[in-house]
Amino acid sequence: MKCPKILLAGAGLMILAALNARAVDVKLIANSSVKADRISPDEIKRVFLRQKNSLADGSHVEPVLEKDGPSHEAFLKMYMGRTDDDLQTYYRALVFTGRGSMPKALDSDAEMVAYVARTRGAIGYISAETSSEGVKTLAVAYAGESAQRTLITRIEPEYPETLRRLNIGGTVRLRVTISAKGNIEDVQLLGGNPILGESAISAVKRWIYAPSHSRTVAEVSIPFDTSH
Amino acid sequence: MLGLAFLCVCLGGGRIALQAQEFKLFDRMVQVHGFASQGFVYTNDNNWLTMNTSQGSAAWTDFGLNMSSEVTDRLRIGAQGYNRNLGQLGQYHPSLDWAFADYRFKSWFGLRGGKVKTTLGLYNDTQDLDFLRPFALLPQSVYPIDLRDATIAHLGGDVYGTISLKHRFGDLSYTAYAGHRNDSIYSGYPFYLGSFGGHITSFGGLQYGADLRWNAPLKALLFGASRVNEDITSRGTAINPFNPWAGLVPYAEASKADWTNQFYGEYTVGRLRIDSEYRRYWRNQQLFGGTSESLADVRGWYVSGAFRISKRLQVGSYYSHYTITNVVSGALSAVYPSTTDTGLPADHDYDKVITGRVDLNRFWNVKIEGHFMNGYGSGPYPNGFYTQVNPQGFKPNTNALVVKTGINF
Repeated sequence: MKCPKILLAGAGLMILAALNARAVDVKLIANSSVKADRISPDEIKRVFLRQKNSLADGSHVEPVLEKDGPSHEAFLKMYMGRTDDDLQTYYRALVFTGRGSMPKALDSDAEMVAYVARTRGAIGYISAETSSEGVKTLAVAYAGESAQRTLITRIEPEYPETLRRLNIGGTVRLRVTISAKGNIEDVQLLGGNPILGESAISAVKRWIYAPSHSRTVAEVSIPFDTSH
Repeated sequence: MLGLAFLCVCLGGGRIALQAQEFKLFDRMVQVHGFASQGFVYTNDNNWLTMNTSQGSAAWTDFGLNMSSEVTDRLRIGAQGYNRNLGQLGQYHPSLDWAFADYRFKSWFGLRGGKVKTTLGLYNDTQDLDFLRPFALLPQSVYPIDLRDATIAHLGGDVYGTISLKHRFGDLSYTAYAGHRNDSIYSGYPFYLGSFGGHITSFGGLQYGADLRWNAPLKALLFGASRVNEDITSRGTAINPFNPWAGLVPYAEASKADWTNQFYGEYTVGRLRIDSEYRRYWRNQQLFGGTSESLADVRGWYVSGAFRISKRLQVGSYYSHYTITNVVSGALSAVYPSTTDTGLPADHDYDKVITGRVDLNRFWNVKIEGHFMNGYGSGPYPNGFYTQVNPQGFKPNTNALVVKTGINF
């Protein structure tokens, strides 16, 4: 009888660990020559796919990658929607047809900050916990987000494994009340799968916006893609 | 000897980490990249791709080296040299693969000028870069390796760009181009004409076309269409087909109407990638100064799937379907009858393929591939099987084992 108890305890610990496990959050950083303070996910993707070398305000940008590691993995998952192998294959196709160059790839967050700080137009990413002294932090402007508020910290929601396995996905819509200080005061589910909604609410409650003059309400859409 | 040298480089590559080189020139970074590959093919019947494959042949080597730099924020320049030997083709005659200046005004509008890789379907411009995919050979119905020169590049200009569609309808990428195409006399078609005693001294002409591809809102789903029009002339000498004992006579063939249409789709979900293409090549040629006419209708399509089992291992499979018909009119029709029955092995090539790719490290890969072919599609436009290397005649089925290894940095 001891064995099943031990197994149960082990399984319980694993579930707890899984529940506590949190993906690394990344923030976008740029050289001070980049005028923009905000960047949309679409712009991030296009810049790093080398389809775009300037932002809407005309600032020239040059993507910089990390070779591997948790920041790199999180960045690929959040913004690029492709694996490192796929991205490298994409860059090689550009390089060997003459349609683009290989972006600079660095070993760590510290190297990334140092390189971005000294390179005109450089744009990269680091873990949200890493100091970004000497570089500019770009806020990511998501569709549906209030134009008045700048998102500083974004926590990605956990995708419940059972739902992913059952191919249950879709988009969750939330109404978010942001305090003047930038904390989330309230989150309401407007649409989407309720279980995914719970996960999304739990993540969004930890988001932090830039301070503003008054409380604002924004609508946020969070996709849960079964293929990732 | 070059194959042996390549092997040495590969063996060294396992220990030495190959790296792209970067250096500064006039305060601008210059990147240097390169690749090389070596293949081996063994077939049970029929010699394939101009190699003596029924005995096993390693006469398949290629390599390229490029340099490029961003001169300004919007202007890029670069060039790549390429060299290959594939059986009787290429013969290590070096070529300028691409060399151009690229000025991007906006993401939706840019210009390229010089020698530019031709955008046609999913893989035309990257067909030499086998390290980008799990397969050693692309589907030969759409990307025949022996006829690479026919589509690979043009000397001229491209306009290109990507436009974001409103209401989250995805992106549209376009390329339109015009220029002069110049085929190597060491490529497949001149070699094929050699079977009739032809010796081509020049081969090329105007080509213009466009490609439009839609990146659908659903992640990693792509649809596209390409069109190329060509006005090609080849000149040289040939044995007089009406009187073979009369010696060589001047030979010329010119396009009356040459075009290619290609449609394609691609979808990636997780570790699985699926793609499919259809190409139709309409080849209407005036031969011997217009005294005869040949109208070849070449159609090819494939369905392909590849799955990444782990970071180091990929497997894949495709089915490739090729047919050709040819109607000859004028004086030559008495010597070369029309062929319109694609059920005959001479007029089709159906190829079932399985492959496995192992990445030994980030720069070095090895592939093993099996081809199970029915038909040999030998003429009037070649598709891998040539009479010169099959003097005993063709057998209807060919199985092939392909092993290929390559490095890139």
